[in-house]
Amino acid sequence: MLYRTAGQFKTSYRADQALFPIRQDAFLLGLILVCAWVVFPLTASEFTFQTILTPILIYSLAALGLNILTGFAGQLSLGTGAFMGVGAYACYKMITLMPWMNPIIAILLSGVFSAGVGVLFGIPSLRIKGFYLAIATLAAQFFLVWLFEKWAWLYNYNASGAIQVPNLDMFGFYVSGPQASSMTQYYVVLTIVSLLTYLAINLTRGNLGRTWKATRDMDIAAELIGINLMKSKLTAFAVSSYIVGVAGALFVFMWRGAAEPNLFDIPLSFRVLFIAIIGGLGSIMGNYLGAILIVGLPVVLNTVPGWLGIHVESALLEHLNIMIVGSLIIFFLIIEPHGLNQLWRLIREKLIIWPFPH
Amino acid sequence: MKTFRTLALATAVSLVGVGAMAEGIFAPNLTYRTGPFAATGIPLMDGQKDYMTMLNERDGGIGGVPIMFEECETGYSTEKGVECYERTKANAVVTQPWSTGITLQVLPKTNTDMIPILAPGYGFSPMANGKVFQWAFNPPASYWDAASMIVQDIAAGDLGSLNGKKIALLHLDHPFGKEPIPVLEAMAAEYGFELVLIPVGLKEMQNQSAQWLQIRKERPDNVVMWGWGAMNAGAITEAVKTKYPMDQFIGVWWSGHDADLKQVGEAGKGYKSISWSMPQPDAPLLADLKTHVYDKGMSEAEDTNAVFYQRGLVISMILAEAIAKAQEIHGTGEINAAQLRDGLENLDISEARLEELGMSGMVPPFSTSCDNHTGHSGAWMLEWDGEKFVQASDLLMADAAFIAPLEAEKSAEYAEANAPWPVNESCN
Repeated sequence: MLYRTAGQFKTSYRADQALFPIRQDAFLLGLILVCAWVVFPLTASEFTFQTILTPILIYSLAALGLNILTGFAGQLSLGTGAFMGVGAYACYKMITLMPWMNPIIAILLSGVFSAGVGVLFGIPSLRIKGFYLAIATLAAQFFLVWLFEKWAWLYNYNASGAIQVPNLDMFGFYVSGPQASSMTQYYVVLTIVSLLTYLAINLTRGNLGRTWKATRDMDIAAELIGINLMKSKLTAFAVSSYIVGVAGALFVFMWRGAAEPNLFDIPLSFRVLFIAIIGGLGSIMGNYLGAILIVGLPVVLNTVPGWLGIHVESALLEHLNIMIVGSLIIFFLIIEPHGLNQLWRLIREKLIIWPFPH
Repeated sequence: MKTFRTLALATAVSLVGVGAMAEGIFAPNLTYRTGPFAATGIPLMDGQKDYMTMLNERDGGIGGVPIMFEECETGYSTEKGVECYERTKANAVVTQPWSTGITLQVLPKTNTDMIPILAPGYGFSPMANGKVFQWAFNPPASYWDAASMIVQDIAAGDLGSLNGKKIALLHLDHPFGKEPIPVLEAMAAEYGFELVLIPVGLKEMQNQSAQWLQIRKERPDNVVMWGWGAMNAGAITEAVKTKYPMDQFIGVWWSGHDADLKQVGEAGKGYKSISWSMPQPDAPLLADLKTHVYDKGMSEAEDTNAVFYQRGLVISMILAEAIAKAQEIHGTGEINAAQLRDGLENLDISEARLEELGMSGMVPPFSTSCDNHTGHSGAWMLEWDGEKFVQASDLLMADAAFIAPLEAEKSAEYAEANAPWPVNESCN
């Protein structure tokens, strides 16, 4: 009923290939965008901005970057955290070396550095595949975090080895550092995330995306039909690392405000990988769903007892939280091994043919 | 599922502003009773909690206002720490971040949110400069004080004797472990000893064979340890295994956890740890705690004579004294965050006051002022006698003349890097 497609005729191939062949999809997306751009910022408190809205967006972007590499091009990577670190440190160095630089330009440029590093560590992917490639990216993870610790130039010889985000302003508004308001930072993050998501959707639908998918599904067959595997894999590494690097810069500059090297260690890589896997490999929307589950849900669960007026010891609450989120992950993966995105697709399909199933 | 997202966010939005609204002073504590550092966190958190429970039970709070001492669990994770800070800051009079990582993260925020940050014996040493760090307090002593006192103890009063010696700093490769390096480097240059830095990565905490191999190769005269959590136990067992002379091995105050030494028992004899708190099993305070807290079954503490538990008591005492001071200054019971700042800035923990509190000898007397947010109380050297920590020195005092210029330099650097950084102009 809600998703009835009757009357929506496609009269050209162009219409058939449109981003939203069904009008309701476009409507739903519009609704979400209105929520994200208008409703949430108007209603959210500082707490919601800082612990739910901004982190979900940033983690989604990081997962989106990883998903391009792992989900679309089929190259398993365990180095996401380190590539985020490259973006963050690149941004920090640019801002401190060239304080006149526009912070948003710096964030967008910092992805270029991580793309470069990503391509470098992607070279082994031309020879090795699957788990073996995962080990190569794991090497990148360890090496880069070690580099963040040992290369004092990266953190401007700070005694504690951490980087602190300075106050940066743009058109009279502080966008980063302690003086920046959460709402400004949220809008910066939202703008960049929306832009990159739009680009990613179109990239994966286009020629490059098809090349990646062919490489993922069967690389020998892809090579036989004339796809240049080197180009396909390395572009996947470059685009993926670019997005991940931008996510890393946002992570530190728009949210955390300070970072120490071990922040970018393997737990962060795993977290992003879990978001991508639970959201659904090879999907764009899945990253958002996964981030809501992994990043947003624990925060919401923590507020529930207080909301209901029940007093629970904080440590116990933390344990309960880990158990609940853990079992939810298992639950979702059992009912839909292909992730939350696939779950939504099935629901949508059922809705379209409802109330007359085949 | 898109609707689920909307729903989840909508619920979250509607939950906003939930917090303690009841009467009283809301003093949250960002604890870590879970995670890799829980073993050292639990006794400290128990001590803090029990002291506040006792005040509520015995005196009905402070100045007649009950203290709502609530815990927010971080598991020592910086991300959770920031979440807890955001969650509690609306009504809180203070934030106790409990990790150097979280401290570094919330330090800039507290300056704009105007909430005092209380980090007793940890955090960023230049926080002592109250003019620059208006909202940050790390009484009674900073890590730089600790480094200075440890070096004095090694020199046994004659700093000239350090010339040509070799001191190794075995430290966690983390902001916390790196804290003493600037002051130790400056002292090495001044007194002519050689400083060997031996970092222990977070992943290597439990297996330090490489580090101790390096120690055997370098043959330092002394090993100074800046360790926490699993790293302490790892280092101490490794030192025993490699037969490093224990009396040349000195830890910072977070490396003097009873349980870590109990593992090696007799073999750990001679290991020393600098400490600004000392367990006093016979203190009158403990009797009060027994009547008002333990006997009522309101405590979970296991060993109430352990160094860390009693340090937790001292930490809550510092906060309670600051609250009382703030009430006195502002003539109101229900103080707010800005008023508590004045209390923390005018602390005067004298011998006489400690006597009144029944806490004589648990912490050296100290006082704070607007430009001195640390107090620089000095500390004792505690020594492991095979069963427990015993006092092994008179009160040592940090070399203020040496540390003050460094504090001024580093705090100025911080303020510059974070410009515009409001400083306390009224303070000279």
